[in-house]
Amino acid sequence: MSSTEPSQNKTWELSLYELHRTPQEVITDATEIAVSPRSLHSELMCPICLDMLKKTMTTKECLHRFCSDCIITALRSGNKECPTCRKKLVSKRSLRPDPNFDLLISKIYPSRDEYEAHQERVLAKINMSHSQASLVNSITEGIKLQSQNRPQRARKNHEDNINASNSNGNSEPAQNGSSSSVPKDTTSTTSNPTPPGQSTSNPASVRSTPSPVPSNVSSISKNTSTTKRAKSILTSERSEESESSDGRTEGENSMDTEGEGEPLNPNEIELVFKPHPTEMTGDNQLMRALRDSSVRYLKTTANASVDHLSKYLAMRLTLDLDAELPEAYRLLNFCIYVAPSPGQFVPLAGSQTLRQINDKFWKVNKPLEMYYSWKKT
Amino acid sequence: MAATRRLQKELNDIRQSGLKSFRDIQVDESNILTWQGLIVPDNPPYNKGAFRIEINFPAEYPFKPPKISFKTKIYHPNIDEKGQVCLPIISAENWKPATKTDQVIQALVALVNDPEPEHPLRAELAEEFLKDRKKFTKNAEEFTKKHSEKRPTD
Repeated sequence: MSSTEPSQNKTWELSLYELHRTPQEVITDATEIAVSPRSLHSELMCPICLDMLKKTMTTKECLHRFCSDCIITALRSGNKECPTCRKKLVSKRSLRPDPNFDLLISKIYPSRDEYEAHQERVLAKINMSHSQASLVNSITEGIKLQSQNRPQRARKNHEDNINASNSNGNSEPAQNGSSSSVPKDTTSTTSNPTPPGQSTSNPASVRSTPSPVPSNVSSISKNTSTTKRAKSILTSERSEESESSDGRTEGENSMDTEGEGEPLNPNEIELVFKPHPTEMTGDNQLMRALRDSSVRYLKTTANASVDHLSKYLAMRLTLDLDAELPEAYRLLNFCIYVAPSPGQFVPLAGSQTLRQINDKFWKVNKPLEMYYSWKKT
Repeated sequence: MAATRRLQKELNDIRQSGLKSFRDIQVDESNILTWQGLIVPDNPPYNKGAFRIEINFPAEYPFKPPKISFKTKIYHPNIDEKGQVCLPIISAENWKPATKTDQVIQALVALVNDPEPEHPLRAELAEEFLKDRKKFTKNAEEFTKKHSEKRPTD
């Protein structure tokens, strides 16, 4: 109706949808409509950077929205057309700022920084899971490194109370043995500059829950955020770090640092490995060989599976026991259990990841306790 | 760099979406501008194999379109012997910065599944496709068996 009314010879080119759609009723009561975050996000997203719109600009002709920075870059890069529909855009003057839309976004996401930090975490998490293959390499690498530190560990066990950060000359050459351990140091400098080799020998610190975060770290962030958000931003920074460091060092990082007191990355899980109390009794040959090193403390990526752990244990113990272990016990096949309540042991399938196990059986915020027993192949 | 951040997002979205027809996406972590992946077509005669492609994004992405080339030889009217493919959605005159890589991949998969002999890159194959479909299918199947990669099992 109204499309034919104007006397000027302006014609509207309406799509079929526009011609046939019925007007939406205005909501005047307290009705709430649920919108999935995904579809909401696609409405608020800039199609150029795929982030949430920042300083929204709307095209005058076709009413498509972009971040101010993005659309200006687009125009400068020589494309004088709408990035969404290719309608002619002569210059910046074909655009109008859209403060109402900015207000709308700030209404929906009052804590935009937090939302973005969350996005970063999700990104980092996915990136991590795709470096799974490199995890296996890194396990082997980590084990090598640990076995190099073993003599030192034995000594350390005697002088239990000595601080782990106490620099010990022996650990330096051990670390240099693997050049790939160098970037690891840079990733952990934010919170704890302790070299990886030394902390392996201090199982006690594994039990300590993540220490409070020094808040000055958050000042690096470009976000002008209040201290209230410091924590979430820090987490995002940590994720960015792990994103930037390549998968190999990341995996190695997680496998060979057993006891660092730094805050736990959300992608990492701490766990305590104990021999199964009934199946691994004192007269068991492996137990005799292991003696007091039968309990293992690990910190590793939550994406590692039970199979990974089983393999890790087999290699680890074989390396540790090298000479003491009779040939027949070389190929150990471990069965791994979790104990959701004392005395109850649930055997675990090989494909389950640590995150699944943690979410399903453990839930509490302390290191995951697991048990192992072995059978001859 | 703007391209890096956007590509990271796109890569994660694609990986998360669990696309069946494009998988095994490999990206060198030091250079996110080059992706490799496996096209797994559904339609005969290409459904007996998988085809490795490379997507190269320019530094100006998304203001300039990506380029796609086949690393696996394929008997297809729209893909030439060098692996070049003519895909309208990423041609300079059609490109829109709002086009996302998953749309590009979907367009590519659709083209592989259903060749467009009207816009051929290899005229002789297009002709065979139009005039002697049986022969084309037989040739393409043999070629696929000989040159393509193994299809992922799951």
